[in-house]
Amino acid sequence: MRNNKSIIIQAAISVVFFCAPIILYGQTTQIRGFADVVTSVEDDEWTFGIGEQDLFITSQLNDRFSFLGETVFRYTPSSATQFSVSIERIIVKFNIKGNHNLLVGKHHTPVNYWNDTYHHGRVFFPTIYRPLLFDAHIIPIHTTGISLRGQNLGDVKFGYDLMLGNGIGTSEVFDDNTAKSLTAAVHIKPREGLRIGTSWYHDVIPEGTATTHDGTLKWKVNQNLLTGSVSYFGDKFELLAEGTLGFNKTDTTGVQQTVAWYAYAGIKIKEKFVPYLRIDQLHYQAGEIYYHKDNTTSFVGGVRYNINYLIAVKLEYQHQRFEEERDMNRLTAQLAVGF
Amino acid sequence: MVTISNQFRKISACRRYLSLFLFLLLAVGYSAKGQEATLTVISNTTGAPSEMKMSELKSVLKGEKQRWSDGTKVHIALMKTTTPVGQTTCQKIYNMSGDKVKRFWLELSFAGNADAPTFCSTTEELVTFVSQNPGAIGILDKPSTITGIKTTEIDGKSSF
Repeated sequence: MRNNKSIIIQAAISVVFFCAPIILYGQTTQIRGFADVVTSVEDDEWTFGIGEQDLFITSQLNDRFSFLGETVFRYTPSSATQFSVSIERIIVKFNIKGNHNLLVGKHHTPVNYWNDTYHHGRVFFPTIYRPLLFDAHIIPIHTTGISLRGQNLGDVKFGYDLMLGNGIGTSEVFDDNTAKSLTAAVHIKPREGLRIGTSWYHDVIPEGTATTHDGTLKWKVNQNLLTGSVSYFGDKFELLAEGTLGFNKTDTTGVQQTVAWYAYAGIKIKEKFVPYLRIDQLHYQAGEIYYHKDNTTSFVGGVRYNINYLIAVKLEYQHQRFEEERDMNRLTAQLAVGF
Repeated sequence: MVTISNQFRKISACRRYLSLFLFLLLAVGYSAKGQEATLTVISNTTGAPSEMKMSELKSVLKGEKQRWSDGTKVHIALMKTTTPVGQTTCQKIYNMSGDKVKRFWLELSFAGNADAPTFCSTTEELVTFVSQNPGAIGILDKPSTITGIKTTEIDGKSSF
């Protein structure tokens, strides 16, 4: 009886997924790419370097299904060829109704604005480097799983994301942890250029998982992340501020809190020329075992010149203060392109 | 007496020049207004409604609506931003330069939030696309009489 019920449910899901689209369109596939080159001076050492090469593919499969893929080629010293290929996103989207979609695959976890907007397109980044909370792995950048997404609903253009996926410490194809990660995010866009959002991420990171620094976890960590973000990209000003409050709990050490935030501001001069500032801060509580407890503050000042929508030049100075290491000063110039 | 007469002559000459200047100013202004390009919204007979508000049109053309009320998928067709109609569309609908409109769409599609419009080089190409794709909506400078296409009025007007 239970088997029959299961077969009926599976058949119903198959009908919804594969038979609902009645009108079939010709496949439309687009391939775009992004790349960047940099030169930087750090500790009196002058370096030239290439950044990531990002291949971005979208394809409309039929009236309801579409595909999005993002693959990055990057320098990896441990590789035999010194380069590695990384699948950053593979998303199959099914439009359920109106602006409500079901997405399966590997996503950029929709926990904050930056992670859900810029992805690996350096030409879109307002600054050369990503905020510190990315490098410090405060937020889970990717999640492989399934999500429900709604956008531009009602007058305030409400949007939501509900995601269930493999948690931290798992691979893209296998999760030996019975607990799955959960992400819930909402945002509104009450006026042109303004977006206000908040999210909650929950995961149980199993014992033995690699920490964000050297070593592995001796105990399982119950992780909850609360994030808030405000962004405004208007004709004259650009403002982006995001903060994450992390709670890592173990049965042995209790709850440790982490605060990570950044604030970016830019002023548009003659549309294409944007001087900007960004401040980042990471603050950990004593006893933190999953994150690398190295309280850090960073100041960034730079200018961006958008030659056109596919070419951006940035010049940026960054000063970073660490708790454990000596200060870092870096001057970087970047040419980022889309093609 | 002669001096007063000369002054009158100078004043009336000034008035004449001023009148001529104002006339030319008005004529140029009128002429410029007359040349201001208008746009028309055409759509496939399936999908888009026959009438919309300007705010709704802008929302649709910014990729904020995936499906029409009858469930048909929205397909957007625009003239390339380098064409006169494309430039007028960028100004009147997006209030952006052509370059910024292209960046706007690249960012949206990169985030996986919307399908980029079909950018057409000729009006014939755009009309054909709209007529052959249910749910398609496009912007032109004049209405089209081709079968399978209707004009969608914006705020009660066939052009704006």
